[in-house]
Amino acid sequence: MKKVMVGNHAVSWGVKLARAEVISAYPITPQTQIVEELSEMVAGGDLPARFIKVESEHSAMAACIGASATGARTFTATSSQGLALMHELLHWAAGGRLPVVMADVNRALAPGWNIWTDQNDSLAQRDTGWIQLYCENNQEVLDTTILAFRLAEVVDLPVMLVLDAFYLSHTSEPVDVPDAALVDDFLPPREARHRLDTADPRSYGALVKPDAYMEMRLQQQQAMTAAGEAHERFVQDWSARTGRAWPALEAYRADDAELVLVTSGTITSTAREVVDSWRARGERVGLVKVKMFRPFPTAALRAMLRGKRRVAVLDRNISPGHGGIFAEEIRSALYDVPLDDRPALWGFILGLGGRDVTPETIDEIVVRTREAEGAPEREDIWVGVKV
Amino acid sequence: MSQIMIRDRIPANELLHPGHLACPGCGGAIAMKMVLNTLGPKTIIVMPACCWTVIAGPWPQSSLGVPVYHTAFETGGAVASGIRAALDVQGDTETTVMAWAGDGGTFDIGLQALSGAAERNEDILYVCYDNEAYMNTGIQRSSATPWGAWTTTTPTIQPQGTIKKDIMAIMAAHRVPYAATACVSYPADLVEKVKRAHAIRGTRFLHILSPCPPGWKYADEQTVELGRAAVRSRIFPLLEVENGARWRFTVDHPGGDVGAYVRAQGRFRHLDEGAIAHIQEDVDARWEVLKKRVVHGT
Amino acid sequence: MAEAIPAVAVSTTTTRVNLTGSWKYIRPVWRDRVAPCNAACPVGVDIEGYMNLLREGRDSEAIDLLLRENPLPAITGRVCDHPCETACNRCSLDEGVAVHAVERALGDAALARTQGEARARRNADRIAVIGSGPAGLSAAVFLTRLGYAVTILEAAPEPGGLLRLGIPPYRLPRDVLDRQIAQIRAEGVSILCNVRMGRDLAWDTLDWFDAVFVATGAHRSRPLDVQGEELPGVHAGLEYLRRANDGHAPDLGKQVVVVGGGNTAMDCARSARRQGADVLVLYRRTREEMPAIADEITEAAAEGVRFLFLAAPIEVMEQQGRLCGVAAQRMVLGSPDASGRRRPVPSDEAPFSITADAVITAIGEEVDGAHLPFALEGGAVPVDVLGRTAAPHFFAGGDMAGHERTVAHAIGAGKRAAIGIDRHLRARRGESPPPDDVAALRWGGAGNLSMSRWRQDDPVPRIDPVNEVVEWADINAAHFAPAPRLLDWIVPPGRGRSGMREVNRGLSRSEATSEAKRCLNCGVCNDCQVCMIFCPDAAITPDPSGHGFMVDLDYCKGCGLCAAECPRGAVTMTREGL
Repeated sequence: MKKVMVGNHAVSWGVKLARAEVISAYPITPQTQIVEELSEMVAGGDLPARFIKVESEHSAMAACIGASATGARTFTATSSQGLALMHELLHWAAGGRLPVVMADVNRALAPGWNIWTDQNDSLAQRDTGWIQLYCENNQEVLDTTILAFRLAEVVDLPVMLVLDAFYLSHTSEPVDVPDAALVDDFLPPREARHRLDTADPRSYGALVKPDAYMEMRLQQQQAMTAAGEAHERFVQDWSARTGRAWPALEAYRADDAELVLVTSGTITSTAREVVDSWRARGERVGLVKVKMFRPFPTAALRAMLRGKRRVAVLDRNISPGHGGIFAEEIRSALYDVPLDDRPALWGFILGLGGRDVTPETIDEIVVRTREAEGAPEREDIWVGVKV
Repeated sequence: MSQIMIRDRIPANELLHPGHLACPGCGGAIAMKMVLNTLGPKTIIVMPACCWTVIAGPWPQSSLGVPVYHTAFETGGAVASGIRAALDVQGDTETTVMAWAGDGGTFDIGLQALSGAAERNEDILYVCYDNEAYMNTGIQRSSATPWGAWTTTTPTIQPQGTIKKDIMAIMAAHRVPYAATACVSYPADLVEKVKRAHAIRGTRFLHILSPCPPGWKYADEQTVELGRAAVRSRIFPLLEVENGARWRFTVDHPGGDVGAYVRAQGRFRHLDEGAIAHIQEDVDARWEVLKKRVVHGT
Repeated sequence: MAEAIPAVAVSTTTTRVNLTGSWKYIRPVWRDRVAPCNAACPVGVDIEGYMNLLREGRDSEAIDLLLRENPLPAITGRVCDHPCETACNRCSLDEGVAVHAVERALGDAALARTQGEARARRNADRIAVIGSGPAGLSAAVFLTRLGYAVTILEAAPEPGGLLRLGIPPYRLPRDVLDRQIAQIRAEGVSILCNVRMGRDLAWDTLDWFDAVFVATGAHRSRPLDVQGEELPGVHAGLEYLRRANDGHAPDLGKQVVVVGGGNTAMDCARSARRQGADVLVLYRRTREEMPAIADEITEAAAEGVRFLFLAAPIEVMEQQGRLCGVAAQRMVLGSPDASGRRRPVPSDEAPFSITADAVITAIGEEVDGAHLPFALEGGAVPVDVLGRTAAPHFFAGGDMAGHERTVAHAIGAGKRAAIGIDRHLRARRGESPPPDDVAALRWGGAGNLSMSRWRQDDPVPRIDPVNEVVEWADINAAHFAPAPRLLDWIVPPGRGRSGMREVNRGLSRSEATSEAKRCLNCGVCNDCQVCMIFCPDAAITPDPSGHGFMVDLDYCKGCGLCAAECPRGAVTMTREGL
């Protein structure tokens, strides 16, 4: 069934179809519509869940942790400052191996106050142990929401699905809403490996001494590795059921490309147009869309970019003092590629705080990458800034 | 009957395992024993950071015969809310969800989550075992530390200069269905309050004074005696509040000299008579306020 | 190893793996001690023990425990001056437990029970007891219970000695006395009355017995040694009481002066009051020094007996051969005498006179040394702690021996002599030597002897008992709520035919049980579980035997809360390894 909906509501519909049991959230622009819609669904009985309307994002995540530890399918949504406030508990959810699913609507961090999109909020949570999946359109948002639950519950890791503020969150698109039966078949009810149970009284999260802490972290890392493989499986499964695939990495006209743009989020859609325009002019320009940031799809990315001449990474984020975060990750992934096959890589910073990224902006990046002589001069080339 | 045979009113110990890691004479351990044994095995404990994080035992041990979820310092009210929600969804309304937090996790860092849970009237029991400082980290002041007390962050040349936060008034202001103070030195009163709390739905709050030998600097065997002295001298009155309105004392508070209580503890050793008189004045003044609350409440 | 470590920190075991008991340097021991009432009881009754049984609703066992140490509880419950009550630790909390009333209730209940069968005689030794007062009855019962054949020889026509002759029925109803004696007979004691030794029967006829216990009392009233003492109208106190108790009181007239401050004086005064007389008690010291039981003084005063303190008679005055009054001297208190009381000395004031129709002298009784098989020293038969006299096989006790002249002391002396005789005869029979340490038999090391300890059949389970008395400082008063002492029901004294009706009706059974619950059970674990309830380490559990507690030393950290909080001083901390 096709419905026209904003990205935020696509999340809500995904959560409803996934039959989340406990939702806990706190309002923050531009996420608020997600929980408003869920509130309606819960209040109206369409979603038989408990919605805990907490007093902060911190408590939202804490409540999700409690609910998830008790075996419930659990969801929250937030953005920016709210996500930053949750930081401590993101570690707790991940280290506790709790399959909480969260939607983060990418929004820039203050100060000054800024409600528009960039990726620094989610990328700042890079090392908390959450799976991160970035979406490009509202259909992907809905589908990813459903898939996120399955992935989380199979590998016992929390999943953050990420969508751009306004470009997705508040932009209406036609979305195919799958049948409940299809989703139910794809996503069975949660069967928690561990849960708080008075019939089997155990403590969780007690003091772990140096003689065991590393082994637990190793298993967390192994679960991340397994998550990459599981994700691929579930993408195929979903694709078989719906004809739609949202892989961890998507190559677009990149097979014979000499110059490859690497993007994530909604910039990808703009970049596709730019690629098409260059291709129309006979230039071998392609695109790789990174959907999965954690676990980082290192091997697949390496395979896709191996032998390319030039790679331009578009980062709607900045790690101050270093550079674009995707660029860093990709550089590091390519390090093991033999020098002859290793592309030169330029990192571009753009679109921070909701600054518009137009086809012209990306065009400029293609031009600068094509025309660059020798090795890149600097690791963070700022695009579209006023001088 | 003049012999107070409390044995018939205190449930047998079933749920606290020995070998836990509390200091000798720990009031917090006694508090847990009494509360948990009263609640029984259908209980899930949320344990934000506090002394009990250690007492409960390091992985792979647990000193408690019920499920325990160790969690971040400030999250008692919220994690408990989440567990409650999950149980409700699963159709389990019988199991009690108890947040078990120290004074730091209640008065200070956890106050927001507690307030949120209380305002939502979450169906949880929140217990603050109050040893009046951050004992687990080595005796630093909290907003539950009494005026004049030494801690490692309020040295004797500049002891605690603020009064203990009135957490009961805060909780009463939330109009939770049940809030009560209790003390490990009054087991029958404590157990009765746990039973009352257990029978009520909604947010229930218990504030248990739990004397701490190393933190208050007294001999291990004086824990119960000091708790009694705190209650009898009206430093820590035992009362309960229903729906934030009906205040009621539950034991006798003869009042009188707070000096004996204060002088028995090393944390007050630097105080001169003038300072002790100041404490007495404060206790007397607060008692007058409290008496008005009790009168208006009943 | 990595497989053994789970993905999350989920517990798989309990803290029992931590033997935190290694932290301690002191550990608790449960050791029963001795309640001060037991140590103060001249009879040596396990008062605390029966109070505890009553509290637990085990009334029949409470009665048994009482009777074990005191065969005359219905009597002592009425007439004992109960030093247990002043020794009671509860005095420091509110008021001492009304032990006498509880004892009386149990004693009366014992009388109401079906009589038990006579004790089987277990050995050939025969014992004669001379005198059927409280000392003689006590010794006879205990010896019978120890398996001896005991015969009491009593000079009077009825048994009871001073209990019958000296104590008025309004304090000790005769049916109570008779039933108590009947019970003693039922236990197997033979009592032959109207046999006065040295007159009806020669002492050497007693050679037929293996041991003899002599307890013939002190019956001779001490004279005032003043002019006019021989006048008609001057009555010796005990003689007056004997006649009054018998229903043949002499006519006293309207004004009666009783001289003396002891129990005999009080009994005389109250009896005279019942004859309708105005009674004035003349005592040379003050009320504080009066040796009479405080309750009796109070009751006498309540009955209208008047007191004149610091006054001593110097002459019984006559007018035309008839007694008309007493001349008396005002006294003042001087320095303390041998008894520790301040000695009364005449004041400088001129003598004064008191109008009187009769004078009753009750300044003390003396032992009549004639017809005794042994000599007196200082007016008393010299005996050791077990009643042995200088004469072989002869034991003595009661008012004729040198101890305090109370019913309780007499019963206690009878018990000591019974133990002395048993020890003597067992040694003679060549049985394994009985314990020689009398102090170990004494409650608290200095109280009277415990028959259960002598027989080594104490029915009270005791946890590593130590023979030391629990002091108030050992009691944790916080565990006891104030509760007023229950007061005896006192009825107004009767007149005429009802004059001998009992004045003090004691407490009802249910009241007695309530009063027993005021007992602090000093020093004796009564399974109150306070130690267990406060143990922060869950290291204390009830002993599987059903009594007492076990401490798991693997987990006890030695905090000492159990000892500090034990309400009754039954737990102490001791150094690790000792």
